[in-house]
Formats: sequence, structure tokens, C-alpha cells
Amino acid sequence: MNVYARRRMANGVVMTLSVVATAFGVLWLVLVLWTLLENGIAAITPALFSQMTPPPGSAGGLLNAIFGSVMMTLVGTLIGTPTGIMAGTFLAEYSRGSRFGEVVRFINDILLSAPSIIVGLFVYELMVVPMAHFSAWAGAVALAIIVIPVVVRTTEDMLNLVPNSLREAASALGSPKWKVIVMVSYRAAIQGMVTGVMLAVARIAGETAPLLFTALNNQFWSTDLNAPMANLPVVIFQFAMSPYADWQTLAWGGALLITISVLILNISARALASWSTFKP
Amino acid sequence: MSPATARQAMTIPPPDLQQTAAQPAPRHKVLIRNVDFYYGAFKALKNVTMPLHDRRVTAFIGPSGCGKSTLLRVLNRIYELYPGQRATGEVIVDSENILAPGLDLNLLRARIGMVFQKPTPFPMSIYDNIAFGVRLYESLSRHELDERVESALRRAALWEEVKDKLQQSGLSLSGGQQQRLCIARAVAVRPEILLLDEPASALDPISTQRIEELIAELKADYCIAIVTHNMQQAARTSDYTAFMYLGELIEFDETERIFTHPKEKHTEDYITGRFG
Amino acid sequence: MAAETAAVERVGASGRRGGVIGDVVFRSLTFLFALLVLLILGGVIVALIDGALPVFQTFGLSFFVTEVWNPVTEKFGALAPIYGTLVTSAIAMLVGIPVAFGVAIFITEICPLWLKRPLATMIELLAAIPSIIYGIWGLFVFAPFVQQYIEPAIIDTFGQIPGIGALFAGPPLGIGILTAGFILAIMVLPFISSIMRDVFETVPPMLKESAYGLGATRTEVVLRVVLPFTRIGVVGGIMLGLGRALGETMAVTFVIGNAHNISASILQPGTTISASLANEFTEAFSDLYRSSLIALGFILFVITFIVLAIAKLLLLRLQKQAGG
Repeated sequence: MNVYARRRMANGVVMTLSVVATAFGVLWLVLVLWTLLENGIAAITPALFSQMTPPPGSAGGLLNAIFGSVMMTLVGTLIGTPTGIMAGTFLAEYSRGSRFGEVVRFINDILLSAPSIIVGLFVYELMVVPMAHFSAWAGAVALAIIVIPVVVRTTEDMLNLVPNSLREAASALGSPKWKVIVMVSYRAAIQGMVTGVMLAVARIAGETAPLLFTALNNQFWSTDLNAPMANLPVVIFQFAMSPYADWQTLAWGGALLITISVLILNISARALASWSTFKP
Repeated sequence: MSPATARQAMTIPPPDLQQTAAQPAPRHKVLIRNVDFYYGAFKALKNVTMPLHDRRVTAFIGPSGCGKSTLLRVLNRIYELYPGQRATGEVIVDSENILAPGLDLNLLRARIGMVFQKPTPFPMSIYDNIAFGVRLYESLSRHELDERVESALRRAALWEEVKDKLQQSGLSLSGGQQQRLCIARAVAVRPEILLLDEPASALDPISTQRIEELIAELKADYCIAIVTHNMQQAARTSDYTAFMYLGELIEFDETERIFTHPKEKHTEDYITGRFG
Repeated sequence: MAAETAAVERVGASGRRGGVIGDVVFRSLTFLFALLVLLILGGVIVALIDGALPVFQTFGLSFFVTEVWNPVTEKFGALAPIYGTLVTSAIAMLVGIPVAFGVAIFITEICPLWLKRPLATMIELLAAIPSIIYGIWGLFVFAPFVQQYIEPAIIDTFGQIPGIGALFAGPPLGIGILTAGFILAIMVLPFISSIMRDVFETVPPMLKESAYGLGATRTEVVLRVVLPFTRIGVVGGIMLGLGRALGETMAVTFVIGNAHNISASILQPGTTISASLANEFTEAFSDLYRSSLIALGFILFVITFIVLAIAKLLLLRLQKQAGG
């Protein structure tokens, strides 16, 4: 075979392999989502949303777990988002080339990808041990620590996209810097910042590891943030690993709920992001 | 005219003013004196001295990089937003040196309005755009604010076009309208001086013409400095022209004189297009 | 002039409407929150060291090389979890990198324009699916499948080769190191692929065009022009994927089998640091037991920190190179 034919064959092989690889990747997405739907749909009944997690071998629902997840996600977001926005604002608006800013950015990006179970361990030592009990507050704080780096990153990126001419125009009217940031820069970047928060929420909605030793779990209905609180991921963990069919079905149901929420949040966030770039 | 003779000329009223007796005699609103400007170690302005007359338009012209925009931005100290940029010398506005340290920059900028090359409407409604600057330093009743917004928009020749859509986003306007919005925003706070940095360069010819007409009207109430790379625009709109080259003020004179009988060879070369 | 004095009066009267004080307060606030980010990291380090100290005092450096993990006799060793973490991540990289590369090539070079966005989104959704979903799917769907079809095939082929056959020795259990590694590969491939795609897009079109102009095939342009140009970013992306794989918890916990020992065969169960933590921490009944688990956490933190720091440094270098 001459050189040229060999090269063409090599090209064909590589290109085919890349198509195969892509199909491979998409295949797993489809497989996972399909089996999730298949197994979880059986559990989607009204009882799922009205009854509490049952003892083994009996029927029930996931109401306390759903409530707990929503609660802790909400509190975690409420704690983490303003923190992240403030820190991201510092990086974008006040830290022009400063060493401190570079270090914060570096550390933030590491925290972004750090194992979430380590965050759980940290909050365990920080809150659970001194308080001598597990609590939803600890769970929310652990989730907040995961939210913060995401929001810092997106806030900084979005604020950096705001053109300097806009800031100059506001300053030229005599506006103090903080008003320029709050009333002009934030408004210009709001869409991107909201997208960042949505992605952060999507991330913590499915996190299990940070809740394992902070909020723990709770068999019963509880709204007490100062006590262990049921949550979907830990319930799924417990139920799926068990040998009880009822529990396993509920686990699939919970898994489906989480996945749907996460996918909706993700896709909405992306839609919002691309819609804003087409604004005139 | 060399810088030394320029200073002399300031004390002698130009002769043609006798023809326009209705206008008050021009006085210096701003006196720029021995100003140097540095971007880091690079000296972008070298010992610039010249006046800006009140109720007149002064144009800064010159090839790219000559320092005309830099000079304009010294006047409201907008360069202070960026570390590494600094100005030395004096800029006297009504007998106060605004380059003095310790001066409240925000208050200064409330007295000096600036319009930029690209229209920069804030991401808020047309009404809020205009009200933004006003709300910073004055507490007006709703009625008073409405009046202020309307009068600013009228001055910018934009009122008729937007009076029914004041709550719409400023970004929904066309380029020319956005720039007039920025002009309205600048005059709404009742500044004393208006700085225009190539205000029409991003606009189509029709919008440009309207902006130029606007400048002619605004001249009656403000001291205006305009940077332009369009010599014909400078000739059309300004009373005085400063020609700059590589950071130096080469010649400053009445516009008519500069464009018909420039004193410096360099000025003549630029005006006749021998270099650009 | 009347307007002038009016202006001065007006400005003077309302004066510092939230001006200077507002600026100082706001700036300090943002600074404090930025400092908080550093404090969180510092806190993590302090908390982990504090919790792990008893273990290092008791066992010393032998903790790193002991396989024994006996809560009853209180003899703990990190070797099995460390081994499991490293091997599962290695498998994840071996499978994930080529696939991610293939996906990146397809999306940037071959994919028709209308398909790019949806396809890229689909691959990114792989990253959005929470870890526990992969875990539950792995346990109930993937592991049995592997046990029934894949592992017997492997044992019958690779397992028969003298020498390395021991790596693939049975019995086929479905759960184990290989399965966990494979699921990790699926989880990290979107991260690696996404960074690869981003850096591939930074190659100046003129560079590629000059290669095509010489008659190079697509493959040759990718391998000889694109890849060398972007190698720093590609390595950075790989390190990022590795960092994620090392720290993954729930997906691994479900399918690794949770056996604190090291077997020669990757078809056998094992454990990783994060899986041990997830499974045992709330059940740890003695202080030393808990300490040992925290010590494992500390080791994981150090490993991932180093990997992620390298990844970040590489990606920063790339940014500077591109003039970003």
C-alpha cells in the first residue's frame, strides 16, 4: 500500500473512532436516563409526595426527604449565594492584578473541584462536633460551601464581561464606585449571575456526600433545622443499598425526582445564558 | 500658535466677536496649564497649556495617538479609575485647580458631563437612565424628576421620539437615539462643562448631523470640548480648535483661522491631508 | 453665575449621599468575603489535620503502608483505600481520556453545525447527573450486566494469559474495582472533553488551514497541529478530570464492594478513600476509628489538592500564552 493510501486509511480509522467515542458517550447518557425512567416511574405515585419514609418492608413516600432536600438546598443557596457574589465582586472590581486576588482565585478554583466528602468532614468538625449533634444547619452550611466557589467563578466572569465604558459612563456622572457596581454592573451582568446560581443549585440538589455526616437522616417528618433532617440523597443511599424491594423502589423514585430537577435546572440555565447573548 | 502666544491670546478678545454682539464675551471656563500625562512610564501628554472658553465649542483634532482623548479624559479625571495613569500640572476650572489631590472626584464629575464614543445606555429604562445621575445628588419629588427628565430629553432632541416609551429599556433604541440618550443623561445633572469624545464616530451620517445640530444648540449654555478625528466636523461645529500631535499641543486658535491660515507647518500638513 | 452657584449649593447640600462611606463599607465587605474563601480552605486543612493527628501519633508512617483495617482490634492502615483510589482513577483515565478526546475531535472537527450545540449539551449533561444516580444505576443495572456478560468474557480471554492473567482473575462478581473505574470514566469524560473542546477552539484557523493546504488529512492536522498547540490545556483538562475521579464518592461506593483489602485482580472488590468514608464514618464507634477515617480524608485532600493545583497552573499558563 502506498503512503497516501495508508494515510487515508489512518484518517478514516481515527475519524470513525471519534464518531464511535461520541456515540459511546451519548449512549451512556441515554442508558442511564432510560433505566432511571423505567425503574423510577413505578414509584411516582401520589403517595410519594404525601407519605413519610417508611420502616423496612412497608409502603410509604418521600415527603420528609423531599422537604428536607428542598429546605437545605434553599438555606444552602441563601447562605452561599451572597457570599459568592460578594467575593466574586471583589475579584472582578477591586483586585486588579493584586497578589491577594490571584491567590483567592486560585484557591477558589481548587475548592470548586474539591471532593465534596471532604467538605462534609470539615463541617462535621466545625459544627457537628461542637454542637454534639447532627443538624440540618450543618447540612445547609456544607451545601453552601459547595455553592460558594461556583457563584464566585460565575460572578467574576460575568462582571468581567461588563464593558468598562459602562462603568466610565456611570463614574462620569459622579457616581461613587459602589453604586456603579450595584446599580450598573450588577444590572448588566444579572442574567449571567442568575445562570451561575441556577447551576450551583443544580449541583447541590444531587449532592450526597456532604450531607452524610452533617444532616444525617431522619425517619420522621421534621422541620427542625437544629436536628438531623431527612433528605433525598441520603435516603436513596440507605434504601438502595438495602435488600428491601419497597425501599429500593422508593430509592428509584427519589433518584428520578432528583435527576428531573437537576436536568430542568441545567437546561433552563443554559437556555437563559444563550438567550441573554442574543439581547440587542 | 506656540503655547506662549496662546497664553497671550487668551487675554485679548478675538475681533470677530464684535459682530455677534448678542453673545456674551467668551471667558475661560477652563485653563489647562503645563499638563503632563503618563500611562505608566509612557508620557502621553507633554506640557499642554490652553484655555477652554465658556459657551463655546473647542475641538481637539489630530492623528490617532496624538493624545486628544487623553487630554479630554484629564478634564474629569476619569483616568483615576485605572491605576498607573496619572496627570501632573494644573487644570483650573473657575479658579479651582481640579488636579489637586484630595479633591472629591465624584462631586467634580457631577459638574462635568462626558459623552463617550460608543453609546453607553445603562441596562435600565430610558427614564431611569436620565434619572440615574440626578438621583445621585438631588432628592427631587416625582414631579420634579419627571420635569427634569423631560427637559433633558428635549435638550437632546429625543423627547418626541421616546415620550411614550420612557419605561422601555434604553437598549431598545437605535444607535443614534442611544447617543442622544447619553447626551440627555449628561445634561440632566446640569453640568457646567460637557466633554464629548468622538460622539458621532459610531453613528450613521444622519444621526451624526443631528448630533452636530445638538452641539450647536447646547453651546449656548455649556462650555463644550469635543474630540474628533473628522476635520470637517471640527470645522463645522467648533469655535476654537486645538491641533495635537504626539502628545503636544501644536497649535490653538479660532477654528476659522486654523483651517484657513494655520500658523504651523505641521498643522497645515494635517489639515490638507498630507498625513493622517 | 447663577447656575454655577446653584450647582455648587446643590452638590454641597446633599454632599456625600452614600459616597465615600459607601465605598469604604462596600469594598471592605467584598474583601472580607473574598478572605472567607481562603479561610474555608484553611479551615478544611486545620480540621482534617486536627482530626487525623491521633492516628499519625499512634501509627506513624506505617499507616500509609498497612493493609490491615480492623475496627475491633483498632488496627488501621490506609493502603487498601489508597490503592483503590489510585487504581480506579487510573482505569477512569485510561478509558476516559481516549473517549473524551474522540468526543472533542468529533465536536470540533467533524460535527455539522446544527448538531454542535445539542451534542455538546448532551455530553455536558453527563456531568450534571449527580453521583448517586450513577451509583444506583451502577448497582442495579450496570454491575449485573458486567457480571453476566463482560467479566466472564474478560476472564476467558485476558484471564488466561500467563502473567497478567492474574489481573483479570475471577470469580465474576459484577461489583469491584473495574466496574467502579469504568463508571468513573463515564463521569469524568465530560469534564475532560469540555476543556479539550475549549482549547481546540483556540487554535488559530490559519494554522490549521496551512496544514490542510499542504494536503494533510484531518487526523494529521489534529494530531500534528492542534494537539501540540494545545498540549498544555489538554494536560490541564486531564488533570482536572483526574482530580474529580479521585474524589468521587457515591458512584464508587455503590459498586466497589467495600472490601478493605488489595487483590491482584481488578475484577475483585476493593475500597477507595471516599467510599470508606461514606460507608463507615457514621458507624465508627471509637475515636481512633473515626480518626483513621479522617486521616484517610486528609490523604485524599492532599492528593486532590496537588492534582487540582497542577491542573490550575497549567490552565493559567495556557491563558497567559494565549494572551488572555
